[in-house]
Amino acid sequence: MLPFTPEVFFSLFEHYNGAIWPAQVIAYALGLAVIATMFMPFPGSDRVVSAVLAGFWLWNGAVYHLEYFATINFSAYAFGLLFIIEAALLAWTGVLRGRIAFRLRTDASGWCGAAFILVAMVLYPLAAHLLGHGWPQAAMFGVAPCPTVIFTLGVLLLAHGRTPWHLMAIPVLWALMGGTAPFLLGITEDLSLLGAGLVGAVMAVLRNRRLAFHETG
Amino acid sequence: MSKPDRRTVLKSIAALGAVAHLGAGPAAAAAGPLLTRAIPKTGEKLPVIGMGSWITFNVGKDKKLRAGRVEVLQKFFDRGGALIDSSPMYGSSEEVIGHCLERVTNRDKLFAATKVWTVSKWLGLRQMKASEDLWGRERFDLMQIHNLVDWETHRDTLIKWKDEGRLRHMGITTSHGRRHDDFAKIMASEPFDFVQFTYNMLDREAEKRLLPLAADKGLAVIINRPFQRGGLFDRFARHPLPDWAAEIDCVNWAQFFLKFVVSHPAVTCAIPATSQVAHMDQNMSAAYGRLPDEKMRARMIAHIESL
Repeated sequence: MLPFTPEVFFSLFEHYNGAIWPAQVIAYALGLAVIATMFMPFPGSDRVVSAVLAGFWLWNGAVYHLEYFATINFSAYAFGLLFIIEAALLAWTGVLRGRIAFRLRTDASGWCGAAFILVAMVLYPLAAHLLGHGWPQAAMFGVAPCPTVIFTLGVLLLAHGRTPWHLMAIPVLWALMGGTAPFLLGITEDLSLLGAGLVGAVMAVLRNRRLAFHETG
Repeated sequence: MSKPDRRTVLKSIAALGAVAHLGAGPAAAAAGPLLTRAIPKTGEKLPVIGMGSWITFNVGKDKKLRAGRVEVLQKFFDRGGALIDSSPMYGSSEEVIGHCLERVTNRDKLFAATKVWTVSKWLGLRQMKASEDLWGRERFDLMQIHNLVDWETHRDTLIKWKDEGRLRHMGITTSHGRRHDDFAKIMASEPFDFVQFTYNMLDREAEKRLLPLAADKGLAVIINRPFQRGGLFDRFARHPLPDWAAEIDCVNWAQFFLKFVVSHPAVTCAIPATSQVAHMDQNMSAAYGRLPDEKMRARMIAHIESL
């Protein structure tokens, strides 16, 4: 059982969105920049994508979870730590070591990744609005965990080569945990989070197996 | 479809126009003096109905919701309430309680009870001091070790605080019927003044051991989950209150459920939680009037088992 009611949860988001404005606009700008680099990559653009993702996860961990969500939910301290760890992993793998590249693809996992990005940035907030808890109570892309996780899963599915499992693990875990929100809080749009976690994990497994098969002949 | 809560059930019943007969109306006017029980180790009297704050007072910064909780707390004190129970585990509840206490009147009888819920002595001290700040208190009437977390460490801190006059009573809690074996051993051998555990008309496990043990050891007993977190209303409140409930001055199910709990001779206080003024009124009405005797308690159990 959650230690708060849905009313309190949406109230928290209203307060949070007001307090961090216009961070939501900046987040969308960064999200669009990530998409743009996939269409028009340039030297270093992959590190930029990783840096943006790391920045989203750091913000969600340190600001959303530890500063705001922790005021109503003691579990947010653990969630915050989880998000900060993911931020560190993204920064280490993608920014410092430059070990991950992102490219648009037309295979199944590529389309899936693109779809997740569309869900995170467009369909998720639209669904929230239609379901009666749109702005300012909505979980906004880049500054709230659920759409950010969906976006991250989408971007990681567009990783060149094998999908990096050490970067997928925490987003998939969060998707499974956060995917209980439709049932516990009535946040129906979080079914997309649950779906993204399950489908993303399956897609990653299938892609990595296929690539491994091709490598070994 | 989620199970209906107390408010939904009562609204439905009222809509049928059968309010008076189905026990869904407002609380009856107080019949007689406020019912109290003595804390065994000190003799201090406490009203038999207190207030819990799990979920209900965890409203964060929302001004409208906080204002609503001020009204709930005001009703609590106006109806003679004293013991308020909270915990750092309950999110912003302690902060909201502190906010409300600054704004209510008639709060002279406040018996402030919270919990320590962390590991290590250092973190425990830090947390207890933070609770004092959040409540706006220099010392608590009761500090409880929540769900036995690192209990031996915190026990020593609480004993020291009591010796220094920093704390009036120390206690320990469990809930949902968990760890009763460990809890019984602690009750039998440790110097706590209060114990807190779950007891209600459906969850009566505590009758077998914990309640008699508490009476034997002179421990005050706070009862949590007296409504099984609303479960009793979900199951029974759609039925009419039996006519003979009037023999124990019950006009609503909240009184019926609570009077069963507090009529156990070992119980000092029950702590139902609510976010509604009307429900607080109903809850506090259980602190007035006649309590069931052993025969009536058996009749009450037989009745709900027949539903």
